[in-house]
Parts: sequence; C-alpha cells; structure tokens
Amino acid sequence: MYQALLTRKYLTSKVMPVLAMLAVTLSVGTVLVTWSVMGGFLETLLSTGRKLVGDVTVTWPTIGFAHYDDLIERLEADPEIEGAAPIIETFGLVTFPDDSVRFAQFKGVEGESFARVTGYDDSLWWRPLDEPTAKDSEAQDPRLGDETGYTDTQGRERRWGWDQLLRDGMTLTDEGRPAAVIGIAAGGFSRRTSAGIYVPQAAIQRGAAGGATTLYEFLPHSDVTISVVPIDSTGRPRGEFGLSTQTVPVANEFFTGLYEADSQAVLVNLDLLQEMLDMDEARRVEAGAGGAVVNPETGELELRGFEDMGIDPERVTSVLVRGKSASSREQAVALKSRVEEIYASFAADHAGEVPSPERIFVLTWREINATMIAAVEKETGLVLFVFGLVCFTTVFLVLAIFWSMVSEKTKDIGILRSVGASTLGVAWLWLRYGVAIGVVGSGLGTLGAWAVIANINEIHEWLGNDFGPWLSKVLTSVSSMFGGGKIEVNLIIWDPAVYAFTTIPTDMDWVKVSVVVSMGVLTCLLGAALPAYRAGRMDPVKALRFE
Amino acid sequence: MSEATTNIIEARNLRKTYRMGRVRVNVLKGVDLSVREGEWLCVLGASGSGKSTMLHLLGGLDRPDRAGADGGGPGSITYGGKDLRKISAGELNRYRNREVGFVFQFYHLLPELRVLENVTIGAMIRHGRFGYRGAAKREAIDSARELLTAFGLADRLRHRPTELSGGERQRVAIARALVNRPRILLADEPTGNLDRVTGESIIETLAETRERLGLTVVMVTHDERIAARAERVVRLRDGVLARDGFAGAATAGGA
Repeated sequence: MYQALLTRKYLTSKVMPVLAMLAVTLSVGTVLVTWSVMGGFLETLLSTGRKLVGDVTVTWPTIGFAHYDDLIERLEADPEIEGAAPIIETFGLVTFPDDSVRFAQFKGVEGESFARVTGYDDSLWWRPLDEPTAKDSEAQDPRLGDETGYTDTQGRERRWGWDQLLRDGMTLTDEGRPAAVIGIAAGGFSRRTSAGIYVPQAAIQRGAAGGATTLYEFLPHSDVTISVVPIDSTGRPRGEFGLSTQTVPVANEFFTGLYEADSQAVLVNLDLLQEMLDMDEARRVEAGAGGAVVNPETGELELRGFEDMGIDPERVTSVLVRGKSASSREQAVALKSRVEEIYASFAADHAGEVPSPERIFVLTWREINATMIAAVEKETGLVLFVFGLVCFTTVFLVLAIFWSMVSEKTKDIGILRSVGASTLGVAWLWLRYGVAIGVVGSGLGTLGAWAVIANINEIHEWLGNDFGPWLSKVLTSVSSMFGGGKIEVNLIIWDPAVYAFTTIPTDMDWVKVSVVVSMGVLTCLLGAALPAYRAGRMDPVKALRFE
Repeated sequence: MSEATTNIIEARNLRKTYRMGRVRVNVLKGVDLSVREGEWLCVLGASGSGKSTMLHLLGGLDRPDRAGADGGGPGSITYGGKDLRKISAGELNRYRNREVGFVFQFYHLLPELRVLENVTIGAMIRHGRFGYRGAAKREAIDSARELLTAFGLADRLRHRPTELSGGERQRVAIARALVNRPRILLADEPTGNLDRVTGESIIETLAETRERLGLTVVMVTHDERIAARAERVVRLRDGVLARDGFAGAATAGGA
C-alpha cells in the first residue's frame, strides 16, 4: 500500500522520473511508428503484388497444358471459387517506338477473365479521372481532361478519349486488332512525378552512328514489336531460327506499384500469344515418306505421305484461381487444397493428355512471391531489431536515473525500514516505480505514435513543403553570413517519384501496440531492478545517517 | 508515573563493532541493560559514547555482534521471551512495526507525504497491500487524527513537513511512532534539533503521552536537564554502562 502512495508521490514531485518517462515515451513511439510504417509498406507491397496474380495458380511452365477450359469450368463450379482465368507466361523481347529493345515477361491473358481473378481493371492507368489524386494538388494529371492528344514527331495530331483507352485495355484490342498492355515503367515514355502521377515524356532515339533524336510519343496506340520463342507440345523450340515476331498496337499501360511488374511485364492478347507460341489448336502430323509435292493437275503444292495424328488442343501455362475468401495465409492454403482436389479429378479424366496431379505446380500467391515477401519481412525485422537495440539504451538511462534517485532517497529508505518495511517491500517500491514509469511512458508513447501515424502524411507534407524550405532559407542565411553558399534541406522522405505509393502506408494494430508497450514496461523493470536490489539491501542505520 | 515491575526488554553483554575503512571501532563493549515495563529510562552520554547505537540495537534496526572482540560470548536482547538476535528478518520487521516506535533527532519525515500520510505510513506497512482498506484503514486514520489532535496539529493534517516548524515536525514524528500502539517508544535526542522552549514542550508531550498510553520510554540524550525528567538514568561512557540509577542521582553526578 505504501509503495503505491510513494510511487504516486515520487512520480508527481520529481523531475528525474519525468526524464525517464520521456525516454520510454520516445522509444515506444519511435518503434511503434517504425513498425507501423514498415508493416504498412509490407501490406501495401503484398496487395500490389497480388494485382496481377490470383490467390492460387495451377502451372505447367513453358510447354503448358491442354483442356484448360474444362479445368476452368470445374473450378468455377466450386462454391469456394470466385473465378479462374487462363494465362500464358513466357519471356521475350519488346521493341519500342524509339527502337529500344527490352527484355520482357509476357503474359497472354483474356482481359475479362483476367480482371475477374486479379485486380487488372484497377491497374489500367490511362482512364477517365474525375478528381485529382491525393498529392496532385495542382491537378496536373493528364487523365483529368476529356481526352488525350498531342502532335507527334511527324506533325500528326493524335487524339483519343480516356474511355476508349480503358475499354481497349480491358479487351486487349485496338480497333479490333489484338493488342498489348505494357507496364508503365517498361518503356520509359512516361515519367512519375512527385505528385504520384505519370506524365508523358520525350524519349531519345539513338542512331547507329552515335546520333540521337528526341522522340515524343504517347505509348497507347503506338506500335511495339514483340518477339517470343515458340515451344511445341514436346517442349522443343520451333526450328533453328524459330523466333516468332509480331507488331502490335499498345492498348493501354498498367500500374501495379510493384516495380518488377511495372518495368518488365507486357500483357498480350491470349489468342495472339497462343498463335505466336504455337500453343493454339492445330492438326498434328507425323512425317512419312512423302513431302511437299506439286499437283500436276492443279499446279498447287500439296503435302503427301504425312500421317494425321489428330488435333493438338490449345494450351496455356497457367490457370489463375481466385477464391471467394482467400486473403489470409490459412484461407489461401485451404483454397490450394481444394484446387489440388479438383485438378486431380480433371487429370483423371484427361489421363495421358495433361500433367499428373503429382507433377503439376499448384501454388498460393504467397508461395509464388515468397522471395519478395521474405525479403521485406526480413527488412522489417532488421529495422525493428536496430531500433529495438537503440531503444534498449533506455534500460541504462532508467538504471542511471533510478540509481541516482535511490541515492537521493536513501534517508526515506532508512525511515521506511525503521517503521517496519521489509527489504522486499522496499525493493518492490522501486520496481513498482519502474513499472509505473514504464506504463505511463509507454501509454504516452502509444498515444504519440497513434497521433503521428494518423497524421503521418500531413506531417510529411508539412516537413517537405513548409519546414524544409524554411530551414533551407534559415541555413542559407546563416551560411551567407560566413561566406557560404546555398543550403538545401530536402525533408521529403517518401517521394512518390521514387516509391510506388502516393501516401505513406501504415498498419498499426493492437498486437503491435501490446508487444511494444510490454517491451517498454519490461525495459523500465530491467532498468529499475539493480537500483531496487540496492535499495532493498541498504543498511537502515547507515541510510538514516545518510547526508 | 507508572508502576515499573517486570522487565519488558533485556540486553545482555551487548557489543557492537563498526568497521571504518581498515579501522574497527568498538562502539559498545558489553552492555547489560534491563528496561522495566512502563518506565521512562534515559540514556545519558556524550557524542560517540554509543547511546544511539544501543537504541538502534534495542529497536531491532541493527543487530549486535555475534561475539565480542575480547573473546566474550554473544550478547542478547530479549523481548517477549525471544532473542532479537535470533529471530527472522520478517519477525524483526514486525517487531519494529508493532512493538517499538522510533523518534529521531532530525524527525525523519517523508518530505513528499502530507502529515496524515506520514503518520499512517506504519499502519500501511502493518496491514500490507491488501489489508490496508475498510475498517483497518479507518481505524489507522482515526488513530492518527486522534494523536495529531492531542498534539495540537488537528489543522495541519494536509500540510507537508516543509510547511511545519521544528516542534510540529517532531510531534508528527511522535504520532507516527505511536500509530500502531507500540509498547516501547525509543527516542534518540528528540529535542536535539530544537530550541529550549520547544524542546521542553516536546518532552512535555512525551511525558503526557507516556502517562496516557502507559508506554515504556527509552530516551537517549546528552542533556542533563531532560534526563532529570526520566524515572531512571543510565550513563554510557566509551561503550560501557557507567552508572545505573534514578534520575536525581544521575543528575547529581553529572558531567
């Protein structure tokens, strides 16, 4: 009882415990803000990473597998499954209008089914926009107008409506022609600004003799050339020079926020890619003794002596599956098991024509992105470890402050012992005092962190737009007094030109708060332990004589 | 003045040695002392004679040496049939809390606590974390109020020690020592930090309280005039009990 009374009195009458409390408040607040921002970063990364993949993927890479329509039908009949979509994934080259050639990851998709199982429709960048985005305070986003247009290098005026671009992106066609939708960072024809928007920019066309021409091109509705290597149903590349090349228009560009996808992925109309990769439906023949013979009656070339082996059905490399609820790790794993069961029955009905259930790859989106997720989780862990280590110094701060307070309160300890307080009772007084400082400090730190997290974007804006320039001005004035030059202080840490997110993502929950608050209290308890032991062991007579 | 019949506390062959760096200082060199129940005993002695040490030993605040440096046997302090040297730390805490009350020269009040809180601190310790509530708490507060009112401090209950005069602080210290109704009051130079008039009023307060509560008082002082108020006076000189007798005799043969 007396411990509670003295704890309260010491807390309200001394400056030193306020300092210890402040240290705990800062530590708890810092760790919570860091953890919340890193957690938000991870969550945002995961959700953006899922924009172009489903919850579960059935994959037979390179060669692909047939009868996928049947598999999709079976999957979509399951009550737990929202939808399924065929997709071809392969690698190749893309040649842009400035003649630059880039390595690309091609995805052959059907716009409608692909949008049903992924966030594809949301990722299409060029679309009508009613309101400026969060950071576009000057409303410079080209999408805010009724239509887009510019005069190209040849002096031609080119105009399109945003609605049309969105429709073309969804169908992956341009005026009926199969088209491509390209990651917005792949071509370098648009520049991301600090407002988190894209504006078309000039590209440089380099000549063989070392010359360079500036090329102003808005990528949608321009043509790009795609080149892929066809693989037949036995897994062999077609012929010696079997590169399959097509020039296709760009229907739109997509933005997921995941740089790897935005800079490398090229979505292509599924039918077109199947045709280019020889994965479309075709008659399979075996060469016999004959060959190409000219019919003497008609004068036309005919194939003779070939044995008709039947129809080779069209193939895809993957089927993406979206569950009705598969956002958590456990739900995704449950969905994966369901998909495996459905695939097993599908494979039994197509025995010998599709990969066996034991060989096919059925993976959740977490498993597909395991490397990226693990990397971000490790980074979060590392940052927290470093911050935790820095905050651990609070233990020594509390220890130093408590040691000093025990010295200051030596006489009080003697008095308490003289009226019957036990050694444990006196030690508990100081431990309790440490816990009280930890609880109050952690509570204030949590409140502070909550306030910062709730307003982190406003604080960031203020730091970058108001405080940073003001500080630059002050520092420049001081510098000029000593003959120095201009000093620029840039306090924009989360620049949307660098990061794919326009606002700083945060994710603060009660689990994080509980862990950090417990660590804050434990820190104080550890810091108070040694001084408490010293107080308890103090000789009461010496304590009473202490001056 | 109460009738002193049986001994309430007995010290035999009491020795205490302190180590000051490499030097051992024999403060008490085999003191025998019996305190009768209800008597007012005064320990007279010059500074450094060992009288405060003896008081600390009698109050269980310190423990005597196990054996004397001269090879003498271990001393003992017997209270209620038990040797304080042999009882556990918990029992010694309870002894300090319930059986004796200390009054110090420099009051030793807790500066952050108000007067009423300072007085009831012993009761809080007695009843523990969960016991100091309801009737026990009410009883302790009533007892503290009663003592403080008797000492003329009824209007000072919410004051802090720094807001009181020296005499008032010492009265608060006496009230604190008595809140758990101990049988023995141990006073270490209770007037040593006060002017003469205030000191006399404190002695008067102690005398009245002792009379009212039937207390045994052991008081340490170097002031012969204060010693004259006691029923019996013993004189300590260089760690040895030099004289044991009635107050008049002690005063007559004083320094």
